[in-house]
Amino acid sequence: MALWSERRPSDDFHRVLAPDGSLVGDPPELGDDELKRLYRSFLQTRRLEEKLLRMQRRGEISIIARSLGEEAVALGSAAALAAGDWCFPTYRQTAARAYWGSPVDRSVASLMGAETETVNEHLPPDEEGEGVVFTPPYVPLTVNVTNAVGSAMADRFRGTDTVSLAYVGEGSTSEGDFHEALNFAGVYDAPVVTVCQNNQWAISVPAHRQTAAETFAQKADAHGVPHERVDGNDVLAMYEATKEAVKNARDGGGPAFIEAVTYRRVEHNTADEPGVYRDEEEAEYWAERDPLDRFDAYLRREGVIDDDWVEAVGADVDAEVQAGVERAREVPESDPERMFDNHLHGEPSWTARHQRAELRAEQRGENPFTDFDGSGL
Amino acid sequence: MSGRDTDGEAGGDAADGERAGGGGETEMNLVTAVNETLARELHRDEAVRLLGYDLGPIGGVYRATDGLYETFGEDRVIDTPLSENGILGTAVGMAMRGERPVPEIQFLGFFYPAFGQFMYALAKMHKRSGGALDVPVTVRVPYGGGIKSSEYHSESTETFFVHTPGVRVVCPSTPRETKGLLAASVRSDDPVVFLEPKKIYRGFEEPVPDGDFTLPLDEARVVREGGDVTLIAWGAMVRRAETAADRVDADVEILDLRSLSPIDVDAVLDSVRRTGRCVVLHEARRTLGLGAELSALINEYALDSLRAPVKRATGYDVHFPGHQVEDAYMPDAQRAQYAVEAVMDYEF
Ligand SMILES: Cc1ncc(C[n+]2csc(CCOP(=O)(O)OP(=O)(O)O)c2C)c(N)n1
Repeated sequence: MALWSERRPSDDFHRVLAPDGSLVGDPPELGDDELKRLYRSFLQTRRLEEKLLRMQRRGEISIIARSLGEEAVALGSAAALAAGDWCFPTYRQTAARAYWGSPVDRSVASLMGAETETVNEHLPPDEEGEGVVFTPPYVPLTVNVTNAVGSAMADRFRGTDTVSLAYVGEGSTSEGDFHEALNFAGVYDAPVVTVCQNNQWAISVPAHRQTAAETFAQKADAHGVPHERVDGNDVLAMYEATKEAVKNARDGGGPAFIEAVTYRRVEHNTADEPGVYRDEEEAEYWAERDPLDRFDAYLRREGVIDDDWVEAVGADVDAEVQAGVERAREVPESDPERMFDNHLHGEPSWTARHQRAELRAEQRGENPFTDFDGSGL
Repeated sequence: MSGRDTDGEAGGDAADGERAGGGGETEMNLVTAVNETLARELHRDEAVRLLGYDLGPIGGVYRATDGLYETFGEDRVIDTPLSENGILGTAVGMAMRGERPVPEIQFLGFFYPAFGQFMYALAKMHKRSGGALDVPVTVRVPYGGGIKSSEYHSESTETFFVHTPGVRVVCPSTPRETKGLLAASVRSDDPVVFLEPKKIYRGFEEPVPDGDFTLPLDEARVVREGGDVTLIAWGAMVRRAETAADRVDADVEILDLRSLSPIDVDAVLDSVRRTGRCVVLHEARRTLGLGAELSALINEYALDSLRAPVKRATGYDVHFPGHQVEDAYMPDAQRAQYAVEAVMDYEF
């Protein structure tokens, strides 16, 4: 009987912190500053998503996908990367960006529907290039995984020791692209780590309807890619497992696959009502396994943080989120003409020039269809 | 080798003409018409099977299949893994064995992973078998913009399908049309890509015949008659065409194409020969959008009747933009009106 036909997945996985925050394995070697940075990123992700949810309800942004209760997957794994590595996220890895200081203002402005060109003009990206390189978040599922493999192959060809990391939902492992990606990764020994964020639901479809395999980790077997199953609500275990995979890839040891077991406690996105298709009591079970509570309990017990510190950091991230949102709000509405930008290099084509002129005429309240000889408006 | 029709109706005959089973009418919106028609077809023919992800307990992300999983069970309404190519490929295989699958692809922008099965199997199986094998698959696909969502959720790329022989492409514009065209599509022995204008899923209601009701699959519909200019549209654009026609100072004939492939060329040419002018209104990008084909047909076969060049009021040749500027991308009644006025003012 496959594990996925059970209500809850087996907890036969790598774990460092038990749900109550007690140690059940050897913690990774992380200094207090690094532990605090993880905690701060956790908190920033939560506060940002709470803020975004309020903005969404007010109609300021259209749709968001939250990661509440799943943050440790992206956080622990992204923290295991080093500056210069490449990261290929989907829409559910807010915490990975938070850890690497990806500016709040830019992502909020994008969610507000601004064209990327407008965002770049008013909120230029960091030019320093000191962190992990993030691609734009991928919406078409699993397209990022093959891209990450190609990115890793490029590193191998050039002899650089950079690693690429891609995220994929457990539902998305049903796509052909997923298997093509892992197959290439295996065949070319690509320095790529794929993290499967198994939150057990792909919109309304439960994990046991995605696969008859016992685990998602197992899927990597057929492609000769080493894999590990990890407690996705344990940020230290995520960090540790990814750190090892990344180091191995960096040292020429090839790809790795990590299945991070977690749970989607909230809606798929703000257009979704999970009560229609699932028993919401499950979410309570998983709330008791909250990744931040667990980490919090551990750090307090170790004397790394206390109430005062948490309160101060909370205020600090709130201010940062608020400031980011304010800057995003100040970005002017995108000029509709921006839609023509960045399609091809070089001089705009006849068609691009004429259509742009049509749009401009229409915006001025003039008839855009009066050009009958191709000379333009 | 058509499906196992339970009530003795041969698969292909629905396309022969409009048929209503008698009885009254019920007001409903477009997505309800989809739901009712699917329920009716599932009842009528046990070979009909819906498949796709999120079709089951949730009833589809737009609730188009609401309640059907509960009524017909998991072998008739099949909740699948997240795999567009898998959905389409297995649908073709089922159809080759006498089933009549109705797969759903959640958004047109996510159809592309299934292009392999679409090109290699769905559109080609009948031809490759020299006509021996039928693949009566109706792929339902919500399409179109104006819903303040992101790029891939708003596209209108019907051209990809229309450019491919061996498959019908059908696009309803009202709840009544939806019922008649969807029922006919499911009963057709051809593969059909059935494009649902999600922008108007809940846009308005109209009376829809209660009983068995089908519409022909290869006839355009004259929405209103007029003598000055032919305005061709389909899907969500038909309503915008009507608004434009109300506003302009011209007698506009509106043609709802309904079948994007094959095109009802006779209807197009007949209308343009009478009006002498034509505007095509579509959401898709302009280059090689269906407007290009319509314009070429008119140019080739009705040039003598033309009193103005054909104009295309369309989307631009860009990737679908973010929601701040999507209204500037989408053709609206105003854009249609400008185009109509331009051809009305034109003099050779
Ligand atoms: C190719 C493709 N098909 C369908 C969709 C629509 N879609 C968006 S998210 C989603 C579910 C994804 O589930 P999973 O991979 O488990 O990731 P999760 O959202 O749970 O993080 C679907 C079907 C899409 N974005 N891309």
